[in-house]
Amino acid sequence: MPKLEVKNLRKLFGTFEAVKDVSFQVEEKETLCLLGPSGCGKTTTLRIIAGLEAPTSGEVFVDGVRVNDIPPQKRQIGLVFQDYAIFPHLSVFENIAYGLRVRKTPGAQLKTKVHDAASLIGVDRILDVPGKKLGLSEMQRVAIGRSIVLDPKLLLLDEPLSNIDAKARERMRAELGRLQKEIGIATVYVTHDQLEALTLADRIAVMRNGLIEQIGTTGNIYDNARTLFVARFIGSPTMNLIDCELTRSGKQVILKSEDLVVDITELAEAITGKVEGRELILGIRPEDISLNIKKTNPRAIEAEVQLVEPIGAKSIYHLMIGRIAVLAKDYPMPDVNVGSRVWSTFNADKLHVFDKKTEEAIL
Amino acid sequence: MVVLVWTLAPVAWMVSLSFKGPTEWYAPNVIPMTPTIDNYISLFIPTNPVGGSFFFTSITEPITKPLINSLIAAGLGTIFAVLIGFLAAYGVSRYRAGGTFVIFFTLLTRMLPGATFVAPLMVFYASIGFIDTYAGLIMLYTAVTLTYAIWLMKGFIDEIPPEWEEAALLEGASPWTVLRKITIPLTKGGLVASALFIFILNWSEFLFALVISVTQVTTLPVQISKYVSAVGRMYGSMAALGLVATIPSLVLGYIIQKHLVTGFTFGRVR
Repeated sequence: MPKLEVKNLRKLFGTFEAVKDVSFQVEEKETLCLLGPSGCGKTTTLRIIAGLEAPTSGEVFVDGVRVNDIPPQKRQIGLVFQDYAIFPHLSVFENIAYGLRVRKTPGAQLKTKVHDAASLIGVDRILDVPGKKLGLSEMQRVAIGRSIVLDPKLLLLDEPLSNIDAKARERMRAELGRLQKEIGIATVYVTHDQLEALTLADRIAVMRNGLIEQIGTTGNIYDNARTLFVARFIGSPTMNLIDCELTRSGKQVILKSEDLVVDITELAEAITGKVEGRELILGIRPEDISLNIKKTNPRAIEAEVQLVEPIGAKSIYHLMIGRIAVLAKDYPMPDVNVGSRVWSTFNADKLHVFDKKTEEAIL
Repeated sequence: MVVLVWTLAPVAWMVSLSFKGPTEWYAPNVIPMTPTIDNYISLFIPTNPVGGSFFFTSITEPITKPLINSLIAAGLGTIFAVLIGFLAAYGVSRYRAGGTFVIFFTLLTRMLPGATFVAPLMVFYASIGFIDTYAGLIMLYTAVTLTYAIWLMKGFIDEIPPEWEEAALLEGASPWTVLRKITIPLTKGGLVASALFIFILNWSEFLFALVISVTQVTTLPVQISKYVSAVGRMYGSMAALGLVATIPSLVLGYIIQKHLVTGFTFGRVR
């Protein structure tokens, strides 16, 4: 039985359809990430699960029990808000103890529970600090502690890292990942940051305009984007997308654009549907293009380097293949500068082909 | 400095006047030449006319009764306005109760000067037997200041992010518990500031009190106007009562000043 099941969720705000038809399941101990740009309905979905919004139609099951008519205070779901919503007038201890006090937990038991939670999230030394004096990372931890101290059936996180500057975010992301592993409860995580989703989630549901565009494991989403939108949204730098056409000459199958020809004979069988003459888009991630100074591969394509961004172990190369701008991510090459000519090889296993009209993947 | 003199000069003059005998009331000196506390005594023992038999006064009762009347009318009026106003403001702020229409039209009561409806109100009150009663005055004060209560407190509630309440809700608190344990403690400063503001309005209200409760439930502002004798106004007594009348507001303000500061500076944590 899935820990959480969402069936055909739909939510209207006036005439605006924030969530159109969303269904998914979250298993025990699993982290599912709802990923999408702002306004795609991911936060609304989360608030419906928590009970803070009523769905226009559709059902929510927690532990197999339909919770649509159960008020939020009785759902036993923990929610960590975007700005944490730490009660400013209460100390860290009282913040964590709040839910226990509401439940009239006896004093001794309350103390042990709060101390256990506090040491798990690492705030046991600041229990007396009032909520309004906490730093962001402390607030995050207290917000999680406040949720988990009640042994919720489900933990919901609403963009918990979006208010934090880049440097601290990296650290807090790691910390969040560690906490998640230790706590080990089913989690729904909402974010618009694809990197957060890739690092923290077991599975990702990419949302767009109130619908789930694709749902799958992180690896699957990254490698087999089913639509152009998913391909563009996941990965940094973003996937190269090149307009092209498919032509066959004898046994050879090639993707051809103005200045670029890619032989995909070996992959041709995997292509679904009739594609000849249709407008297509070739997609390839920057890290799937390898560069060389000499032409070592017969299929290598000549390119001119426009810009090199050294970002550490690998560099990002801005290339021009004829009039097509392409990004490649490969090891730094000391002799390659702006204006150098290099040979680029597209990793044929990692090619993506999309239909330009339907935006769906055909390879 | 100029502003300070400008605002404090009348108060200083009132203090000076309250310690002067009748012969000095029209004199320009600030320090009384023959300081006297007769004016204050006259407030409590009206049978002892200030300035001897020269001033025959219409005042027969001491100020204790008007003082109590004022405390009851202004106090209860404030409490009701704040209670009802808070709940209304909460509904408007959180649930948009009544849409934009209702909240806007609560302003109606402030669009007309009180003087325009005091006459019909008096007729109405007379027909239901509310003239000269506590209930009449309290109800009127509540109704008139409710607008302020709603709008002031709506502002303070708007400042509280709803996430705090939602978080408490998800922790298992009922909506009433959330209101009691989260919303009210967080808006306390604002509520207290609103209450003080409304109390001062009610406390110094003159027109309505004069018209609808002139004989039995006399309030202090009305009482002040009664210090008139056959030959002129008894400025000394009026000044003395004016000063006495500011005491409750001052005391109240002093007690809650800690909350006032948070009330005026309250904002988001970040």
